[in-house]
Amino acid sequence: MKPLLEIHGLTKLFGSGCGHCLPGGVSPEEGNRCGRCGTVVGCGDVSLMVYPGEVLGVVGESGSGKSTLVRLIHFELDATAGEIYLNNGKEDAARENLLMQSPFRRRQIRSRHMGIVYQNPWLGLRMQVSSGGNIAEKLLAAGWRNVSEIRKRAAFLLERTEIPVNRMDEPPANFSGGMQQRVQIAKALSNNPQVLLLDEVTTGLDLSVQARVLDLIRNLQRELAVAMIVVSHDLGVIRLLCQRTIVMRHGRVVESGLTDQVLEDPRHEYTQLLVSSQL
Amino acid sequence: MNLREWMGRKKRDGCGNGPDYSFAFLDDVSKREIRRKILKAVAIPGYQVPFGSRELPIARGWGTGGLQVTLSLVLPEDILKVIDQGCDGSVNAVNIKRFIQAVTGVRLTTDTGEATLIQTRHRVPEEPMTDAQILILQVPYPEALREVEPSERVTRRMHAEADYSRMWLYLYEDIVKFDEITIGYRYPVTVNGRYIMDPSPIPRWDIPKLHMAETLFLFGAGREKRIYAVPPHTPVVPLEFEDFRFRVENFEGKACARCGATDTYLDEIIDDATGRRLFFCSDTGFCDKRCGE
Repeated sequence: MKPLLEIHGLTKLFGSGCGHCLPGGVSPEEGNRCGRCGTVVGCGDVSLMVYPGEVLGVVGESGSGKSTLVRLIHFELDATAGEIYLNNGKEDAARENLLMQSPFRRRQIRSRHMGIVYQNPWLGLRMQVSSGGNIAEKLLAAGWRNVSEIRKRAAFLLERTEIPVNRMDEPPANFSGGMQQRVQIAKALSNNPQVLLLDEVTTGLDLSVQARVLDLIRNLQRELAVAMIVVSHDLGVIRLLCQRTIVMRHGRVVESGLTDQVLEDPRHEYTQLLVSSQL
Repeated sequence: MNLREWMGRKKRDGCGNGPDYSFAFLDDVSKREIRRKILKAVAIPGYQVPFGSRELPIARGWGTGGLQVTLSLVLPEDILKVIDQGCDGSVNAVNIKRFIQAVTGVRLTTDTGEATLIQTRHRVPEEPMTDAQILILQVPYPEALREVEPSERVTRRMHAEADYSRMWLYLYEDIVKFDEITIGYRYPVTVNGRYIMDPSPIPRWDIPKLHMAETLFLFGAGREKRIYAVPPHTPVVPLEFEDFRFRVENFEGKACARCGATDTYLDEIIDDATGRRLFFCSDTGFCDKRCGE
């Protein structure tokens, strides 16, 4: 099977770099910040593959580069080096490194083939615009130009994410945190993305709401068979959702493998620490 | 010293009489720059080209963008018409007209068909224009996306990436709230299938006249320092949804109280004496022409 998303040597440095730390940033043994020039390795030489319908987990402590990785894939940050390929299923399609494409083309790819859910709904939603409008924005970006079809699709998605459809024209600012998160999920799914990026979606929600949001994500994933990258520092979330997992530290991948294998039999000392420090 | 005396005064260097400025007031370097920017604007329909807006004897925001475009294009043999909201006789139009005539000596007209160069504020003449004419529109706010994004830096990036979903979202929210698109003037249009452009505050009535026209349309914003253009035979399509179409103003059952026209853009005027509502053609030149015939 061909991978859906292929990432090779993805690197993001914050800072100018110096002779001591170039080109890939400081060595992992020294941490993620160059002692001489202060350049921080947000993401260092990360390579990964996501196959169709697969859910890949990314774990690590805060500051380990998980969100930077997601933002690089979503083209919100410009990578220092690396390659990203998205296989659109067409056999004859030219393999193009997305990071070399124009911002115009990257925006097209993002609007048509990607969805993202942020930890903070304020990042992913326009709080003053109606919930239906939030979903519409994504559809309009993907070229939809029929109001009644847009509204039908928005109503369908809100229903699937358990938001009462009669609240469709209310702004998300009126909603609870869990509802806002579900509107975000509906928005992210609206254009039938090939890849869905979930960045700490359940952090900050109380336990029962967390369970419902996770349940929803798992059901939608089974039904739509959408590939996902799930970022979390909560090993429970990872265990529940992900088939494969990578562990990040100091912007680097330190361990990767099947989720069960990584969590039950961690090899790297940092992963061992992570697993053993679970409450 | 009035305008004419000031312009007829002795040259500053004391060598002879005659005006202390070039033909059409602007110096040649300025005119050349503005013409270059016009060429760029024509080459990229709907794209806002920044230009070095010059100081003029009228204040910015009073038509200086259009005026600079006119001054850089005008030739001694041109015939000029200036209108303000369709009217040839309003203060703004008359002042601009008199200024241009004083610095160039060109002939003035109120007849759209006769003019070779027309500067206008907020209207496109009713009479169809030809490829021998140029229409110059004064623009207060050249950025069509300003309504949804206050930052110039961001709107420029949005134009570059054709990231127009927020403008469409604005229309969608309008429909959700009011069941129709409520933009009355400055209706955003897509030019040549690429850039969203502000057509200046012309009524919706005038938007279809820009589409695949014979005439060159130039837009000048003096305060905001932008020039943009719609070349002849260029598609200009108002933003609309498949099920919520763009509409022009509806004047059904109304006619001009002066010339009786039923196919023009009408201004509503309330008669001070009788309190009656009357409608008149907004394009006075066209109305005069009809009355004369």
